[in-house]
Amino acid sequence: MTLFLIFVCLTAIGLIAYGFQILSIRSKLKATNIKIKEARQFLTSSESFCPPVSIIKPLKGLDDNLFDNLESFCLQDYPEYEIIFSLQDCNDPAYKVARKVKEKHPDKDISVITERCNIGLNPKVNNLIPAYKIAKYEHILISDSNVLVSSNYLKEITKHMKDPSVGLVSNMIHGTSERTFGSILENLHLNSFIIGSVCLLDKYLRMPCVIGKSMLMRKKDLEFIGGLKAVKDVLAEDYIIGKRIHEMGKKVILSTHLIRNVNEYWGIKKFINRHTRWGKLRWKIGGISYISELIGNPVFMSFLPLILLEVSKITLFFAMFVSFVKILGDIYIGKLIQKQIKTTQLIKQKITDSDALTFNPFRYFLSPLKDIIIGIIWFIPLVSNKVVWRGNRYKIGKDSQLSLCPDTGILLWKYRLLNALKTRFA
Amino acid sequence: MLLCDFHIHTKYSDGSVELRKTVDLFGQAGFDVIAITDHVVNGDSSIGKIAHRFRFTVKEDNFNNYLSNIRQESERAWDKYGMLVIPGVEISKNYLSSDKSAHFLVLDIKEFIPANWSYEKIFLEAKKQNALIIACHPHHSSEITTRDTLFLWNNREKYSKYIDAWEIANRDDVFNVISLSKYPYIANSDFHKPKHIYSWKTLLNCEKNIVSIKQCIKHNKGVAITLFRN
Repeated sequence: MTLFLIFVCLTAIGLIAYGFQILSIRSKLKATNIKIKEARQFLTSSESFCPPVSIIKPLKGLDDNLFDNLESFCLQDYPEYEIIFSLQDCNDPAYKVARKVKEKHPDKDISVITERCNIGLNPKVNNLIPAYKIAKYEHILISDSNVLVSSNYLKEITKHMKDPSVGLVSNMIHGTSERTFGSILENLHLNSFIIGSVCLLDKYLRMPCVIGKSMLMRKKDLEFIGGLKAVKDVLAEDYIIGKRIHEMGKKVILSTHLIRNVNEYWGIKKFINRHTRWGKLRWKIGGISYISELIGNPVFMSFLPLILLEVSKITLFFAMFVSFVKILGDIYIGKLIQKQIKTTQLIKQKITDSDALTFNPFRYFLSPLKDIIIGIIWFIPLVSNKVVWRGNRYKIGKDSQLSLCPDTGILLWKYRLLNALKTRFA
Repeated sequence: MLLCDFHIHTKYSDGSVELRKTVDLFGQAGFDVIAITDHVVNGDSSIGKIAHRFRFTVKEDNFNNYLSNIRQESERAWDKYGMLVIPGVEISKNYLSSDKSAHFLVLDIKEFIPANWSYEKIFLEAKKQNALIIACHPHHSSEITTRDTLFLWNNREKYSKYIDAWEIANRDDVFNVISLSKYPYIANSDFHKPKHIYSWKTLLNCEKNIVSIKQCIKHNKGVAITLFRN
């Protein structure tokens, strides 16, 4: 009974933390709505701050919705900007998509560059360096290929740069357009734990929280912290850039403008791989505070008595009750996000995006299952510090420092044997 | 080179993705030419009857709707992605015996062709419609879940004159017999699920219009195959 009460207490702490996450999301999104009028005035005023921007998009492989994602950057309601699609190899399937987007928008300043760069271990940074070299403007926007933005995105984020004390602007992301089991889990996680944690850190803990999917900064600030080469061998280049800009005394802002991460056809394996990698990264960066993630997963904590103690009416009821609360909470966050998109983005643009506007509460019933999977994944970083990312195998060190970890000896034989068996049975 | 896939199923037969979403999936991935080829299954065998019972086939009564929806999507795909969408069907003659079964694509189809007709009658009707005939997965396949369709290969001496090209590769399989026989070839995904997009594809060195594409396949010059992977 004592052990059960300990689990109840831990779950209660998790639920309280989750409550704070909801409050922080609500307050962030509410702040956006209050500022809509102000922003609209700003957007229409002749004094709008619209410095020319170089958008760098590192491309590697096909993301879901890639054509639309890339095209959304060509449709910005913004006076002067360039887009650089950067690839390591012209045989990459994303190359053809980038070329097509460029051909469709001949009036836009778009470059598609392919340059193999092996300067560091982080493949994304390797991809960014050649594009950064040719970027024309002082303001640099690093944006991942799997995000879809609305036409007012650039105006919304550059306005923060009017203040010279702001060093970096990042954005909140939300998952959308799920069509498979894996992508439902992914979007549930992005739209609850990830967005909640980012808002909580920003709102209550005042910690610089940077999401690499959208980072706007000045060249001179980036150069001051050592440029992209300073993060060539770390996995969490976004976190390190944000941290160093913060340390040099500049503000790191989390824009309330939501950007979409389209995840349509994910398999469960991709979901598990990504969150295992992210978990390892947070363990290496956060250290002991990584434990808070386990306690901050009330559903998983509430299911532990069922596994570790006994299956009884009370343990079952407890797990069901917590799951139900979590489902309701996630639905509420989903509604908040949807409302924000409707009011600030889609209606303004007169876009009839059925995927973004559809709200299916039944998908949220998978939320407890997702939390249980995430709870299990939480333990993996404690026993393994190796990740396979974009085809390379790395060992992660402190602050996500990467070192190459080729398959050798017995490991190599294990993989060879597995591959041989797979081929045989195929 | 045009990146092409001429063998794609949608929810009109046994595919798992709706027509519009299928077109978007290929458009978003940068394809230049695709053909929508849902099954038209024979109803004169027990297996064929099952396909009819579970609506895994395009029928005469919904064929016009099928064709007009493909044409609508074709316009949208051209405007949005610069991608050509060709209407087609996969005539599927399914029997219990693999030796009796045959599947072949009819590309750029204009009017319904029943799968119950004899091979000659179907081929002649397809030729009358100026459509292209492609023999699908003509040899033994490695997939456990699919049944082989060997009739056309076993009777190639009789029917090869009607066939414009043979699938040398289908999804993950490569049929080296096509290469050895020096038949005209293309490679397709036989797309049923989103993951099938990563499979064998055709590259064509020709203009992006239906006439040039059909000629390119028929003459089999400027044709290459590639394993499309992410």
